[in-house]
Amino acid sequence: MQALTLKDVRFRYPGMSEWALDIPSLEIQQGEFVTVLGPNGAGKTTLSLLANGLVPKSIKGEFEGSVEVFEHPAPKYTVSQLSTLVGMVFQEPESQLFCMSAEEEVAFGPENLAVPRDEISRRVEWALDLVGLKGLNDRSPFTLSGGQKQRLAIAAALSMKPSMLVLDEPAYALDPMGRIELYSILSDLKAKHGMTVIVMERDAEDLVEYSDRFVLMANGRVTASGPPREMLVDPGALRAAGVSPPQMAEVASLINLRRKAPPLRFLTVDEAFAEITINTHHHSKGASH
Amino acid sequence: MTGFLDLYSEKDTFLHRLDPRVKLLAVALISVLAFILTELLYLVVLLCFILLLLVLARSSYGKAFFALKFVVRFMILITLLWPLFDRSGAPVLFSIGPLDITEPAVWRGATSAVRVGCFATLWYILMFTTSQRDLVRALVKLGLRFDYGLALAISFRFIPTFGLTIESIKDAQRARALELDKGSILRRSRNYVSILVPTIVYALRTADTLALTLQSRAYGAFSNRTYLREIRMRASDYVAMTVVVLILLLPALAKYIYGVQI
Repeated sequence: MQALTLKDVRFRYPGMSEWALDIPSLEIQQGEFVTVLGPNGAGKTTLSLLANGLVPKSIKGEFEGSVEVFEHPAPKYTVSQLSTLVGMVFQEPESQLFCMSAEEEVAFGPENLAVPRDEISRRVEWALDLVGLKGLNDRSPFTLSGGQKQRLAIAAALSMKPSMLVLDEPAYALDPMGRIELYSILSDLKAKHGMTVIVMERDAEDLVEYSDRFVLMANGRVTASGPPREMLVDPGALRAAGVSPPQMAEVASLINLRRKAPPLRFLTVDEAFAEITINTHHHSKGASH
Repeated sequence: MTGFLDLYSEKDTFLHRLDPRVKLLAVALISVLAFILTELLYLVVLLCFILLLLVLARSSYGKAFFALKFVVRFMILITLLWPLFDRSGAPVLFSIGPLDITEPAVWRGATSAVRVGCFATLWYILMFTTSQRDLVRALVKLGLRFDYGLALAISFRFIPTFGLTIESIKDAQRARALELDKGSILRRSRNYVSILVPTIVYALRTADTLALTLQSRAYGAFSNRTYLREIRMRASDYVAMTVVVLILLLPALAKYIYGVQI
């Protein structure tokens, strides 16, 4: 099944002459982990808001085309209805947590959906456990670390039992450890619960190993799409598009510029280590002969 | 539940366990009692009772001191100023220039001071023993619309956030050599514009994300929303409520039915 299908979608904010989004076709499969990469103003946020109907339902503008969420035509449903299919997590951890305890934060969605109390209680425990915040039910979100806040925001979306999570630059305010924790939780959700995950990012670092697919965006358009490894053969192209490629991909491409031997292909430190040791081993053997 | 501007501290006393609705009722009824009582002696007895409650609330010395500092200052101010404005009655105790200080006015001043002391201490006890969360729940349970309750809860929640934001904006502007507390009043208030503008921009951006978040969490989807935690009256709450009602009722009956001077 397709999780998200866009056909001939165009959206323009009021008073703007440029289309904020102009996508003839985009399909995301159920259970896929897709990273949408693009610089500021590429249309990533607009695309994420489109997924649960906030665009164009709440944020008005000129809209054309068709959006389907799990094969349901999005315009026929309210944002509340879509929120049981699509969980949203925004960039700023501070402004999407508004309750006085972690537990209330996670319970808020199901409470609004009039879920029975026992079931809410189960979902709260389940969601807090999934994001590694078990036992912090009574903590004030204000006192959590940046990474914990963002994971709490994910738990608050998960408690509504969505089949897809859309995250708009969720690692923006996080330190490197926080980023990795966040992405590995998302990757677990995909692997163990079949969750469809769409992450909007400006920075491809750390996302290579988690993503099934990179989608590159610029000026509201999708400019390229494919498996991360194919997309990173030429990190220069990413950089030109305003996205930071993983540092290891850049190292590989710089080495390849000066090498006559077959090009090195590595994207992570481990891969680099493996490939370089194999290659130097090979060379030293050659020299002894 | 910690953060600045939050007086609540988590303890396990009967005052903490009491249903927040009973506590609100108690504050209201005992305040009415403080109004009914006119004799200084009885008001002092009431104040002692309230101070006993403060001790039972087991608030930290720091917090209790912080609270009582304000209350005591205010009480002294009232006692001193009252006779200056209320110059009725006789005998005149002494005169300061054209001002006659009369004996009944001094008593009335002291009485009002103790009365205000009762009100203020009661509110502090309420805030010490009731989390903001429970207070909002109680208000919603008492019939406040959920929307307003949520708005109230959100404002409680964001007070520390905005406090910290203002502090870091101040620091950022100071690092750019803005001298906030120098110059004339006009100059100083103009300096604060450079704090105010970024704060408002931040607040608007936060509000924007917050609105999107609320919608994404199905806010307002059903009118019969459920609640994970609901406050419920227990036997001890009913006992406390009865005691509170009697505390008001007995003196009120004595005064208005039997004409006892209290």
